[in-house]
Amino acid sequence: MTEPVSELLMFQVGARVFASTVRDVVRIGNVAAAGSDGLIEGTSLGPTFARERGIVVAAPEGGVESTLVVDQVLGVRSVPESEIQPLPAFAAAVIRSGAVSGLVLFDEAPTLIVDLPTLVRERLAAALASPSPA
Amino acid sequence: MAQSPARPSKKPTRKPAPAKAPARRPTSDAATLAAAVAEFARGKFDVKFRPEDYADPGLRLVAEALDSAGGDVGTQLKEFNERVQNVSHGVDEAIEALIRLVVQGDLSGELRLSVTDATLTPLIAGIGQVMETLKRFATEIREAALQLSTSSAEVLAAATQNESSTAAQASAIHETTATMEELKGASHQIAENAQMVAAIAEQTLTGARQGEGSIKLFMASMEKVRHNAVEVDEAIGKLSKRVERIGTVVEVIDEIADRSDLLALNAALEGAKAGEAGRGFSIVAAEMRRLAENVMESTKEIKNLITEIRESTHAAKQASDGNKREASEGEKLGGAAMTSVSGILTGIQETSDAARVIHLATQQQRTATEQVVLSMSEIEEVTRSAQSGSRQATGAASELTKLAERLAELVKRFKVD
Repeated sequence: MTEPVSELLMFQVGARVFASTVRDVVRIGNVAAAGSDGLIEGTSLGPTFARERGIVVAAPEGGVESTLVVDQVLGVRSVPESEIQPLPAFAAAVIRSGAVSGLVLFDEAPTLIVDLPTLVRERLAAALASPSPA
Repeated sequence: MAQSPARPSKKPTRKPAPAKAPARRPTSDAATLAAAVAEFARGKFDVKFRPEDYADPGLRLVAEALDSAGGDVGTQLKEFNERVQNVSHGVDEAIEALIRLVVQGDLSGELRLSVTDATLTPLIAGIGQVMETLKRFATEIREAALQLSTSSAEVLAAATQNESSTAAQASAIHETTATMEELKGASHQIAENAQMVAAIAEQTLTGARQGEGSIKLFMASMEKVRHNAVEVDEAIGKLSKRVERIGTVVEVIDEIADRSDLLALNAALEGAKAGEAGRGFSIVAAEMRRLAENVMESTKEIKNLITEIRESTHAAKQASDGNKREASEGEKLGGAAMTSVSGILTGIQETSDAARVIHLATQQQRTATEQVVLSMSEIEEVTRSAQSGSRQATGAASELTKLAERLAELVKRFKVD
């Protein structure tokens, strides 16, 4: 019997590489062709630079899709679920975001696993809390 | 004038010759009378004709007449002798008076003789005239001696002045000759320098003409450089357009590769969502994505190369523009240099001509100076002769002055007043 695996989408924001489960991703699009509506930027993952790709995230309960702007999408990797570890309490306190659900080691480097719907919600909630001046 | 003392006559008194007896008795009375007449005719005035000795009356009358005439002739002869003695004495006295007045130089008095004879009157008058003439002569000679003394003094002063002037002239001529000698040397030096200047100007002219040719070649090269720069500029423009075209094509390829990458990513995503069933699909998608990434890497390299080519062509364009500007500037500078060299050529040509003219002029000057030096030497020689003559003239004038003084002293001896 084979060990269950998780399919993780690897992407890069700034200099850091993150991962998220493919189930949360509707598709991958081009930011330049997407227009400005529904783009999610300035999240807790950090600032973007190249802004080449957009990860389309499905909206909960039939809402509008959101596109998380990232610098680069690196690909899909299969990871045994046993290698996915929960986020240490100290790290969770420092990050101050509920979007980071765990971590996995790739080539002995820890990679944060991001819950994209949560991240989008937090960003939208933050945007509603502090609306930009008209 | 003191009267001359009378002195006895030195001439002896003529005495009648004594009658001589006939050498032989004439054969007739007429012959006897004729012989007596012949004796009388020979100057024997004391001959006796003895009329009583003739028997013929006619011869007796002739003898008586001859005897009477002989007596008268003797008396007259005696008187004549006495008169001759007086006149001779008067002449001696006059000659002695003349000698005395000439020796003493006293021409102020008159000639007075102790003898008074009408025969001496013309002599006394003549001597008076001679004295008057001598007196006039002495007066005129005295005046002439005085004038001669004055004139000779003036001549002496003039001769001395002339001698001094001649000496100064000789010195000046000597200095002038020396100066002309130096001038001759300077002319020679100038002629040599002018010849050297002409030679240098000729060399400079040749060099300047070569420089003119070089400038023409330089200007032709500049024009060719400018022409090449224009061609290079055009080529760079074409190259730039082609590079831009390549860039456009690369952009299209990059866009396609990006879409391919995106498509492969979504394919891999869908494969991963499909689980085990989508594994093969995911492998194909991964391979597609790898190819797309390779293409994008290549297009990135091409873009980098295009960027480098753009920078290079831009630099080449700037260099080409710089070459055009420099070539144009070089042509302008070449034109200015050409104008300057043309001016230099003209100046050098004029300098060469002037140096040649100076050389000829200085040669002529040298020849003229040599002639002047020769003439000055002759003048110096003549001046030396003139100086010697002036010295002699001064000596002669001095001698003349002394002679004039001597003459004046001598003339003073004649008393005319």
